[in-house]
Amino acid sequence: MTLGFGDYLSLLGGESLLTGLVMVMVLLGLYLKNKNIQGYLALAGLAVALILTIGADRTMGPIFFGTMEVDPLSQFFKLVFISVSLIVVLAGLSRYKDSPSQDEFYILLLLATIGMMVVASSIDILTLWVGFELASLSTYAMAAFDKEKKNLEAAMKYFIFGATSSAAMLFGFSLLYGLTGTTKIAEIAAASIETMGPATLVALIFVVAGFGFKMALVPFHMWAPDTYEGAPTVVTAFLAAGSKKMGFVAAFKVILIALMALRLEWFMAFAVLVAITMTLGNVVAIWQKSVKRMLAYSSVAYAGYIAIAFVVVGAANNGGFDIAVAQGGLAASLMLILGHAFSKTGAFIAVAVVGYMALREGKDNPDDIEHYAGLGRRAPITAFCMLVFIFSLSGIPPTAGFIGKLLVWGSTIDSGLIWLGVLFALNSALSLYYYLRVIMYMYMKEPAGAKIIEPRGYVAAMVVALVAVFYIGLFPQAFVDFAYSAAAVLLH
Amino acid sequence: MIPLVLYVLLASAMFAIGLYGLLTQRNGIKLMMCVEILLNSAIINLVAFSAYLPNVNGQVFALFAIALAAAEAGIGFAIMIALYRLYGTIELDNINALRW
Repeated sequence: MTLGFGDYLSLLGGESLLTGLVMVMVLLGLYLKNKNIQGYLALAGLAVALILTIGADRTMGPIFFGTMEVDPLSQFFKLVFISVSLIVVLAGLSRYKDSPSQDEFYILLLLATIGMMVVASSIDILTLWVGFELASLSTYAMAAFDKEKKNLEAAMKYFIFGATSSAAMLFGFSLLYGLTGTTKIAEIAAASIETMGPATLVALIFVVAGFGFKMALVPFHMWAPDTYEGAPTVVTAFLAAGSKKMGFVAAFKVILIALMALRLEWFMAFAVLVAITMTLGNVVAIWQKSVKRMLAYSSVAYAGYIAIAFVVVGAANNGGFDIAVAQGGLAASLMLILGHAFSKTGAFIAVAVVGYMALREGKDNPDDIEHYAGLGRRAPITAFCMLVFIFSLSGIPPTAGFIGKLLVWGSTIDSGLIWLGVLFALNSALSLYYYLRVIMYMYMKEPAGAKIIEPRGYVAAMVVALVAVFYIGLFPQAFVDFAYSAAAVLLH
Repeated sequence: MIPLVLYVLLASAMFAIGLYGLLTQRNGIKLMMCVEILLNSAIINLVAFSAYLPNVNGQVFALFAIALAAAEAGIGFAIMIALYRLYGTIELDNINALRW
């Protein structure tokens, strides 16, 4: 069946709209004196893109000569990316108000979102790599956005690690292409069953290393805490909630499909990686004085939780394929991704409010936990939102994070990996320690200063994230069904 | 005709050299050169496989990779220049405020 221009436009409406908008915004930026309107343009564009993405037909099959596909999996991730981007734009409305270069911030943010959406839709390693690079290059520039010493150091580390990882990924892709003679992921998986050998494994190791950097799995996590701490806080929110999830969708698409085809006993290797990742993230987070860095390490721990899906699928594939267990595991980690995206974005934006407050008072370390003392009275909305996001991150009902953690825990038990389930529960309990410390500072300590006026953009961003966290937590059924149909795409 | 294995060996050697440079060098520009070597090793692989398969996908992939490598170098140099303006150096050992 040949598709016309109109069909493509309706299938990839979100991407087309955002691409067009970016071009308009670049031109407008040259002429406008007051650039505050650019943020509202980006906001409107993202809102419309969200609606277009929800409305896109998910049954059309491969498009663009079999390089992209619009299916439940791609739409699930696109919704996550657009929502995170929307929340970050809302925060940016306050953060970069009246800044002379604010249009560049929104343009880079939209370009990164487009790149992530391309990754979510691609079923060919060429489009996947191009989308990956578009998102990476935009976020390198965003990490350095304020051009302060910390920003630049963060951006430099992010750039060196990111460029190395994308080169390793490209090398792995080139070997996969040489071994199978095709760039389509499904054909690569089918062909690697016949030509399976040490070379295929080497290629996959390079690809795993490339994606591992973006996902911040141990031992590829070293850049993450430094970059998250040093980058401007609204950008950190985007990196932790958006960019990291792009690593996961790419890994689901390539690594999972390739590994399932190989039917090796590879999942134990992943189980060890996952166990180390979540334990290291949580243990190191305990020592942190800076709340931003603590959240960064908790992000590393979350990478471990989400990657449990690889282990569960591997265990389900071990001797006869138990598709129900595999689907449950994948859907669980998709729900965890959804919950983590909203809670982490919100939490980092709350950190941004406190940093803004501390900087106005002329303090040195704007992210230090001391500034959270008595936040419940100094900035009541921020403190309450932070409380909810922390509950969600630690998995307390009725929040989105609770649903995700419950499902992941259930999936480890279903697949017979009891030890991993126990370790996951222990790690969640451990994380409560450092999360509760923040809550203790916010509500039980005496305020360190006067009540402040919370900037409106930040408040709007946090409220949107708050509503999403509660909505998913209270009415999870529609989202869980969506996650199951998305998981089915990978396992058909 | 040169056997395919020689091309793959060349690419692997280049990848190893680039990785060694990334691990040992501490100058920003040298690190960027090492990243370029890594990318170019993958491009050699793609073109060699494409010629031997024969299948044009690899050459298309290589063209995209070359363009993106240029964009990546652009961003990288921009970050390095901004670093130099603030710190007065691009020796990365001197730029280390963020740790543990």
